Amino acid sequence: MSTPALELSGLKKSFGKAEIIRGIDLSIGKSERHAVIGPNGAGKSTLFNLITARFQPTAGTVKLHGEDLIGLEPYQINRKGLSRSFQITNIFPKMTVFENVRCALLWSQGYKYSFWNLVNRSRDLTEGAEAILEQINLTERRNLPAGTLSYAEQRALEIGITIAGGADVIMLDEPTAGMSHSETDYITDLIMKVTEGKTLIMVEHDMGVVFGLADRISVLVYGEIIATGKPEEVRGDPKVQEAYLGAALEAEH
Amino acid sequence: MTDQITTDPTKPSERMRAGSMTLSLGPWIVAAVLLAVLPFIFTNNSSITIMNQMWITVIFALAYNMLLGQGGMLSFGHAVYAGVGGFACMHIMNASDFFAALPLPVLPVFGGLFGMGLAMIVGSFSTRSAGTVFAMISLGVGELIAACSVIIVAFFGGEEGVSGDRTYARPFFGTEFLQQIEVYYLISAWVLIAAALMYLWSRTPVGRMANAVRDNPERAEFLGYSARWVRFYSFVASGFFAGIAGGLFAINYEILTEENLNTTSSGVILLVTFLGGVGFFFGPIIGAIAFTLLQTVLSLQTELWAFYAGTLFVATVMFFPGGLAGLMMMHVPVFKLGKARLLILPYLKTLLPALIGILGLSALVEMVFHVRHAAYGDDEMTLFWTTFNSHDILPWVVALGVTAIALGITRANAPALRDAWNEANTAGGSA
Amino acid sequence: MDLILVNIIDGLVTGLLLFMLSAGLTLIFSMMGVLNFAHASFYMLGAYFAYQISIALGFWMGLLLAPLIVGVLGAGVERYGLRRVHQYGHVPELIFTFGLALLIEELVQFIWGKNQMAYFVPDALNFSAFAIAGNSIPAYKIFMIFISIAIFIGLLYILTRTRVGMIIQAALSYPRTVEALGHNVPLIFMGVFGVGTALAGVAGVIAGPVLGTFPGMAFVLGSIVFVTIVIGGLGSLWGALVASLLIGWITTFAKSYNIEMADILNGIGIGTPENLDESLFRDFWTITSPQIADILPYILMVLILIFRPSGLFGKRHS
Repeated sequence: MSTPALELSGLKKSFGKAEIIRGIDLSIGKSERHAVIGPNGAGKSTLFNLITARFQPTAGTVKLHGEDLIGLEPYQINRKGLSRSFQITNIFPKMTVFENVRCALLWSQGYKYSFWNLVNRSRDLTEGAEAILEQINLTERRNLPAGTLSYAEQRALEIGITIAGGADVIMLDEPTAGMSHSETDYITDLIMKVTEGKTLIMVEHDMGVVFGLADRISVLVYGEIIATGKPEEVRGDPKVQEAYLGAALEAEH
Repeated sequence: MTDQITTDPTKPSERMRAGSMTLSLGPWIVAAVLLAVLPFIFTNNSSITIMNQMWITVIFALAYNMLLGQGGMLSFGHAVYAGVGGFACMHIMNASDFFAALPLPVLPVFGGLFGMGLAMIVGSFSTRSAGTVFAMISLGVGELIAACSVIIVAFFGGEEGVSGDRTYARPFFGTEFLQQIEVYYLISAWVLIAAALMYLWSRTPVGRMANAVRDNPERAEFLGYSARWVRFYSFVASGFFAGIAGGLFAINYEILTEENLNTTSSGVILLVTFLGGVGFFFGPIIGAIAFTLLQTVLSLQTELWAFYAGTLFVATVMFFPGGLAGLMMMHVPVFKLGKARLLILPYLKTLLPALIGILGLSALVEMVFHVRHAAYGDDEMTLFWTTFNSHDILPWVVALGVTAIALGITRANAPALRDAWNEANTAGGSA
Repeated sequence: MDLILVNIIDGLVTGLLLFMLSAGLTLIFSMMGVLNFAHASFYMLGAYFAYQISIALGFWMGLLLAPLIVGVLGAGVERYGLRRVHQYGHVPELIFTFGLALLIEELVQFIWGKNQMAYFVPDALNFSAFAIAGNSIPAYKIFMIFISIAIFIGLLYILTRTRVGMIIQAALSYPRTVEALGHNVPLIFMGVFGVGTALAGVAGVIAGPVLGTFPGMAFVLGSIVFVTIVIGGLGSLWGALVASLLIGWITTFAKSYNIEMADILNGIGIGTPENLDESLFRDFWTITSPQIADILPYILMVLILIFRPSGLFGKRHS
């Protein structure tokens, strides 16, 4: 097997005395769509934040295409080809939809911190941004301030920003959280479309989305992965059913 | 004219931002023509002096807005970069051999370089974060350098500052800049160049990312950009243009003192920029023009001009955080909908009495001030071309009456204006 | 040795005075996240009000009433000004308080004019308490120390031992939760703002007679107060105390001992250049400590912000 796209080993994170992530080993192959599920408070978002250097892990390593990510800043990780979205919508609300996407393209098109290029003179940028807008179905909204879009549209825009830079590993944190049924379908189709041929890691609560999208699923309970496998294997795993349903029931009461 | 706003959202907002989206030459040509023609309209020396001051403030305010408006960084010590640029230019003026070989119009570049150099040093640690920490460092560094002006006499000249003579420069196409009008054209040329460069800067990748970092630094980091470096580049560029403003100040006034560095100057530029509006590129330009007029014209009329300026500033922050530019741009959709006519009458009905009310209030303020502070026995004062005894009862009754009635009318007519405003901003209906 | 003792007392007076301002400021900051630029303006208002009251009713009524009026004004500013600007974000808030500081200074000049007020130490305290090696220590200084310490203890008691204090402490960190528990958080904010400004008012009342009551007094102290809470760590009451005393002592000692930069540099083994008068750095070499006493706090602050951005006692890394 070739180098996995993302490899976690012995990853741990404590906040004070509370150990939130208790040693995770996970390997995600290239072009795999991988979902992380688990009850509330299992540490899914923390896991995401550890991978993308929002938090520093207490122990363990994170490797992207075999390269160690620990100690890098978020922007350095992004430049290595890992891009993420956030649980709470995280866009540039005062800028137009088009500018949001264009900003996401700047680094990958090699503009860096240049002040000798004019952004609207670059056909690549404009066409690239328009292509992304087309993909996420927001062409008609292109000149509105992003903050004025509907919730589902903002989530779509965030996915657009996340994929725009051409990263080959995409991490989505609860992309359908708080959405209506039809909106969820729309976002699911969108994710399917835009992650074609890329590695996708997502945290998701909606089991319909998870089983519709994922090639493999990991179940995270109390900071540990209790099962990883194909959707049908995970679904049939009695340990998962017991722990996950048990914990889920517990969480509901 | 049916519901244009919702079915075709692209048009109005696109036009609203038209100034910032396209590189149209129109406004620049108009500005150039205006700059060239103005001295022929306002020919006397004092107007040219005022305009010189105005354009220098325009450059400084635009530079300041690169931080505040575009980068979301609030600086309380930005006068330092302009000041150091200016002091450097003064020293170049006094270095006779070098200066004799240098055409004067090039001098501000050196001011810019020195401002930029200082900004690079300070920015290397101050731009790590925006927000409060940045504001505090800017204040601390500002106070420090301002305090240094009396300690490091060799560079800052101590209490009396540094002065020089611009005419020792190498003649520029035969011009020695002996006259104010020649300096005016030098400054005008620079204001065009600097404003155009700053405008172009905002269209570059790093300029766009400055906006992104302002809105959401974390997201920007996950797009491959280090928020800190984006801030640093904005800061350095802003220091450069502030330095140019300082250099022009040196040329215009031929003296720089501690006043060019201190917190008051830094506060003034914040005031100017905010008054004009930080949300639009041209905001600081309007702010600089309005403030300079206020400062020069109003200060001739009343001792209390700083009090009025302060009141205006606080009122702006509280009620119109978009500043003058924001107020103007609010009306763009109305014009797009072709409904501006609807507003004329309500505006007259509300704003005219409001203006009279404000003038009445200021009359009361002036009268109180006169009663309290005029020399003993000096009971006569002149206000709005009328001379009266400030200790009589009649003027008070008149002023109070006029103010109360005018504000009453304003209040009564305000709901009508609000309705008209809503009507004018709603598409459809009979336009 | 005796001089050291005198300086310690002087520095303590300055430090505690600073603390009365910085305590309120840091409380306001940790609660609302806004640095109140106009805080020292309330200190100035305290002095002016006390002066005006003392003319009619004497010093002690001034001490009692002026802080109350200042507190009510402060609460009003929070209720009708800051709360409105809050919706636009932090930067406009900071700008608002900055504008307010300008406006209050103009207002004071408008009412009382530009000259220093004839506001003096009351006769009851205008004597020498004791003398150290010929340096007499005025009773008023001792009085200032006592007032400040009493206020600090009172504040500490209220914050840590009373129900209101508990709610305030909780509201500092979790305003939403406290609101959900049924407490009126906006009212608490207004109250804290009022109390904070009233404290500044007290400082103004007792500092006015010694430091002078004039329109620039807010400006003189204003930025130093900021520096204090930044050094102490934004939001930390203990940090504010330590930083206040530190600054009080540093500036007092720097002013009373004339140390030249050349002495320090020679001391660490750097020789003075031969022809100092022509050297570009001559001003640097001849700097003396009284000259830079007033900017030492700024240097300290910049260093702190570079090497420990959260301040001496700061917890949050904002």
